[in-house]
Amino acid sequence: MGKKEKKKKLPLGRTLSNNIFALRQVWEGSRSYFFMYYFVTVLNAPLNFLLTTYLVRAIVDSVSGTGWSTAEVFRYIFIVGGAAIVIWTLSNYYWNVPSVKANRQIQHRLKKKLYKKATEVELACYEDPSFYDKYVKAMDEVTSRVYDVMSTLDNLIWTLTSLSLNSLLLFTIDPLLIIFAILPLVMGFVRHWGQVIYHGWQMAGKPSDRKYNYVRRTFYLSDYAKEMRLGRFSEQQLSMLADVRNEKTKLCGKHGTKFALSSVLYEYGMQTVTVLGAMAYSLWRTLGEGQGSMTPGDCIVVLTSIGNVSYMLSRVVQNFAEFSEHSLYIENVRYFLDYQPTITEDESAPEASAGDVEIKNLHFKYNNAEKESLAGVNITVRKGEKIALVGRNGSGKTTLVKLLLRLYDPDEGEVLLDGKSAKEYRLSSWRGLFGCVFQDFKLFAMTVKDNVLLRREEQGDDERVDAALKASGAYEKVATLKNGVDSILTREFDDEGVNLSIGEQQKISLARVFAADAPFVVLDEPSSALDPIAEHKMFENMLKATEGKSVIFISHRLSSAVLADRVYMMEDGAVIEEGTHASLMEKGGKYAEMFRLQAENYKEGEKDE
Amino acid sequence: MSKKNENRAPKQSFAMINRNYWRMFFKVVRLSPTFAIGGFLVEGVLWGINRVVNMYFTLHLFNAIDEGKPLSELLRIILYVAIWQICFQLVDKIYFQIMRPILHYRLNYNIHKELFEKAKTLDISCYDDPEFYNDFVWSMEESSERAIRVIENINKMARAAVAFFAAIAALATADTDAVVIVVLCAMGVIGCVVNHVGNKVSYMARKERTPLYRKQSYINRAYHLPDYAKEIRLSRADELLVREADENNDELVRVGQKYGVKYFLLYGLFNNVLMEVASLGITFYMFICLLRGSIQLGTFAASVGIVWQVRHSISEFVERLAKFPEHSLFLEKYYGFLSYEPKVVSGEREVDSLRSLELKNVSFSYDFSSNPKYRWHKADHVVRTVEGGKDALTGVSLKIEKGEKIAIVGYNGAGKTTLIKLLMRLYDPTDGEVVYNGRPLPEYRLDEYRDKIGCVFQDFKLFDASIAENVMGGDYDAERDGERVKEALCAAGFSDKLATLSAGIDTHLGCEFSEGGINLSGGEGQKVAIARVFARPYELWIMDEPSSALDPVAEYELNQSILEHAKDKTVIFISHRLSTTRMADRIYMFDSGRLIEAGSHEELMQTDGKYAEMFRLQAEKYK
Repeated sequence: MGKKEKKKKLPLGRTLSNNIFALRQVWEGSRSYFFMYYFVTVLNAPLNFLLTTYLVRAIVDSVSGTGWSTAEVFRYIFIVGGAAIVIWTLSNYYWNVPSVKANRQIQHRLKKKLYKKATEVELACYEDPSFYDKYVKAMDEVTSRVYDVMSTLDNLIWTLTSLSLNSLLLFTIDPLLIIFAILPLVMGFVRHWGQVIYHGWQMAGKPSDRKYNYVRRTFYLSDYAKEMRLGRFSEQQLSMLADVRNEKTKLCGKHGTKFALSSVLYEYGMQTVTVLGAMAYSLWRTLGEGQGSMTPGDCIVVLTSIGNVSYMLSRVVQNFAEFSEHSLYIENVRYFLDYQPTITEDESAPEASAGDVEIKNLHFKYNNAEKESLAGVNITVRKGEKIALVGRNGSGKTTLVKLLLRLYDPDEGEVLLDGKSAKEYRLSSWRGLFGCVFQDFKLFAMTVKDNVLLRREEQGDDERVDAALKASGAYEKVATLKNGVDSILTREFDDEGVNLSIGEQQKISLARVFAADAPFVVLDEPSSALDPIAEHKMFENMLKATEGKSVIFISHRLSSAVLADRVYMMEDGAVIEEGTHASLMEKGGKYAEMFRLQAENYKEGEKDE
Repeated sequence: MSKKNENRAPKQSFAMINRNYWRMFFKVVRLSPTFAIGGFLVEGVLWGINRVVNMYFTLHLFNAIDEGKPLSELLRIILYVAIWQICFQLVDKIYFQIMRPILHYRLNYNIHKELFEKAKTLDISCYDDPEFYNDFVWSMEESSERAIRVIENINKMARAAVAFFAAIAALATADTDAVVIVVLCAMGVIGCVVNHVGNKVSYMARKERTPLYRKQSYINRAYHLPDYAKEIRLSRADELLVREADENNDELVRVGQKYGVKYFLLYGLFNNVLMEVASLGITFYMFICLLRGSIQLGTFAASVGIVWQVRHSISEFVERLAKFPEHSLFLEKYYGFLSYEPKVVSGEREVDSLRSLELKNVSFSYDFSSNPKYRWHKADHVVRTVEGGKDALTGVSLKIEKGEKIAIVGYNGAGKTTLIKLLMRLYDPTDGEVVYNGRPLPEYRLDEYRDKIGCVFQDFKLFDASIAENVMGGDYDAERDGERVKEALCAAGFSDKLATLSAGIDTHLGCEFSEGGINLSGGEGQKVAIARVFARPYELWIMDEPSSALDPVAEYELNQSILEHAKDKTVIFISHRLSTTRMADRIYMFDSGRLIEAGSHEELMQTDGKYAEMFRLQAEKYK
């Protein structure tokens, strides 16, 4: 996945709208949560100012005899302090208790939105690395990013409120102090420069990071364990690790120095020049030539709050940078949510029902492929027929099945059901026509029953599941499990879960086909993980259970092709031979050759070397 | 998967936490003294001092103003502070942004190297123990990051402590009275107590939440992994996933609310509100002192900043303290892993050429919990594996002579793969022994023995490296091995594909981090894996279903090729497809872990037992 992450800048409008999008997710999820989030901040920021900077000033002035009387100060402390305690308590309560539910509601709503979309995008998207990348990122980060936007906005509100209150105070003391606010703003650019350097540093290290992660995986994944012990791979992997270290060290020299320079400059500007400068200035105003233009109380206020002001100014700059950072991630989420799938569900389209399927002149090329996987395939499956698709690896058998199921749409040609294009039917009903077992089937970490039904349970499903398990040959095994059909598969998150062997898993996935009771059955090498006896039984059962249904099956083992009403032999994305087993054998073409090759070894007695 | 088993964490004693912690600290000191000591000096001491300087600066300056010192003296104080800041920032940035990353990578490398060396010696059975395996993966993924965080944690605690005590000292040397200092110290104590209780609550909450998070991440994965995509589109499985997600969410709300009240009382009231009230109280108290004239105006003004400093130090200290159990939990696993002693250990004897290999009454069980040989470091772990308590092999005896071609057949789960794992000494048998040239296998040097065996596994793996390196197993030299690699690939039936690759055998496999790498299909990959066997002069070949991903024609060609190249080799085949077994000298038929029939194809067909039945069943369909 040679993904190159270029940090692209989004236009200002888009940045804004992305952040608003994130805020809207929270707002729509729970209005009270959204309201409380900012309401508390709006109250807290002034309270904090009133109880620190402003209070100190009041007290100093009161003691110096230039401000409030002692009683007034007392009253001030009791009123503002009392209000603060109430607000602190309530907000702490809200954040720990009632907010939990609202918070989950927001996250859950968002997740479900993504889940729904995930089932809609077509399979081809999974093969487009850049789309897939965005998709995975969207899934992983969406909730945390949405909250990041909330908190950045919160920070901004807090900072701006405190900043304006503090600045107002400073401005009333001496308008000229405004000069010291300008430098921190300029320093924002230095900071930005530093971030650009840092980002470049990170990006330059990405290839090494990938290498490093890979090396690490080869050491701990059980898939590699045998090879690591028997071959000499481990030395090679270790030397790769040393390469990573050296590459990284080189990068530190190159980028680290520049980054350090930018940080030092920034700190000098913010701390040394601005803060100490403002202090020196106000001391001079108080005690120097312009003596008396500032009271000692004012001077102390300047000294305590100037540091805060400078810090807050840099925070504001930082906050805006954060917004544009968040926006880049939100962009992925929106890209994904706004994506318009090309294979869509049209609820007004007619329902499909069993009939004759005709595949006409089908052409298809995978996104990144050079060559067409299907180059003009014609196949007819009449109602109730058993069809075998055979051919060497990579001849396009599985691709054909995927197109038949409308997991992809063809580049050219079409699939017809009773003479009408598949696209004219409602998608879900079209797919519902087929019961499939794939070579790379997957079981879910749920109960056996769920895995067989693959939908919510309805009445009478118990019998249906039992029958399906019996038909697929998995019943005996399931019956030995402690919880029977309610046993949870895999130990993914249940320690009581059951790990089944590959062969047994395949039987469960086969049971899905029987349980779905679809008019078409598609089996893509359903027997590859089964031993010969189990395979034999499975085919017998399959024939029994699928009487009257159309069956399309793919198998390497040509012995099963004998059972088919018609065999299609594929090569390089095209059908090269078709007919019954007998007629193909008679013809003596490629099929016959392949069949003989396999059969040869089973001829008893005459052992041929 | 990394944090999966946090919920099974054993309760840790304080002493244990401490021990783990310091052990890691000293390990880092040993591996990279500059990192550990430099970090402590800059991050801990220097930063602490910086805070002290800032505190004394305000206090001094304010009092100087209050006392009416001349402007020049005040400006001099500012100048000194400016000089301090310039030096401090310079040292800090040079350390953190130039030196530290370099030290970081060096430390990272050293820690990983140790782990990798250890991982190599790990018994393969460890991978079957989910408990151990999880810990192992966790150690691998997080170790260096954790080591750094342990150091960082200690440094930051030192920094907070320095600042805290300096603040107290600053106030004590000024004219404040004891009440303020007592309140501040009490705040520190409360902070630590709240943290201690909070840790327990968090531990309970985490225990309840972890399985829920695990489930949530599973649901996420089911939606975004391409593996599940087909199933989700073709069925209504998403109904099920949404149902699970809904239920899971309700549970999360329930757990959240259950602990929410506790968190509110603890952190909300006791920590946040109480601290705020205490600071406000101090300001109020000092105002009264000021009215009474017992403190100076400067001290009062500076104290607001100092109190803030104290609070900040307390929360920093407590925050760091809270990390201890979490880190220690990790370290416990990390040390457990490092101290694991492999059960399959190398012997001393030199390995001579293969004459015979024999199994004497061998039994093997994957149920490691009942097998004292495979007890892990933690006895309380209950190990359950796929096969459960059943023996994978029971009382198997067989002898393989040099040059024989052996086929091992049987149904799924008959014990075939287990048998070859024992032959390769990836495991040692639970009972009985494996004998090589008349002597027990454990007497021989392990790596030399394994060097004699070439294997193709059912679940072979290719490495992200060139084709040639994949064939030679890493130790590849273009000049020395180039021809050999080509011949081996040709023998494995890869030559057609090879001809289409412009970079030939130097083509990189996998494109994870190499531009221009290629991905091979299952069948092509298997051919490359098979070529490994041809590339080196192995004496014993083990082929575990080598043709499973190949189509019938390729399978036929492969079998011919193996026969041709294996004339003087000892070969062990495992296959589902009985057609392959006909070229074997001897066939061993397994059923449920037992050897039930042995002999040549003809003999077994004559015996008319299970083998004959299985063979006929398969042959029947080709008639």
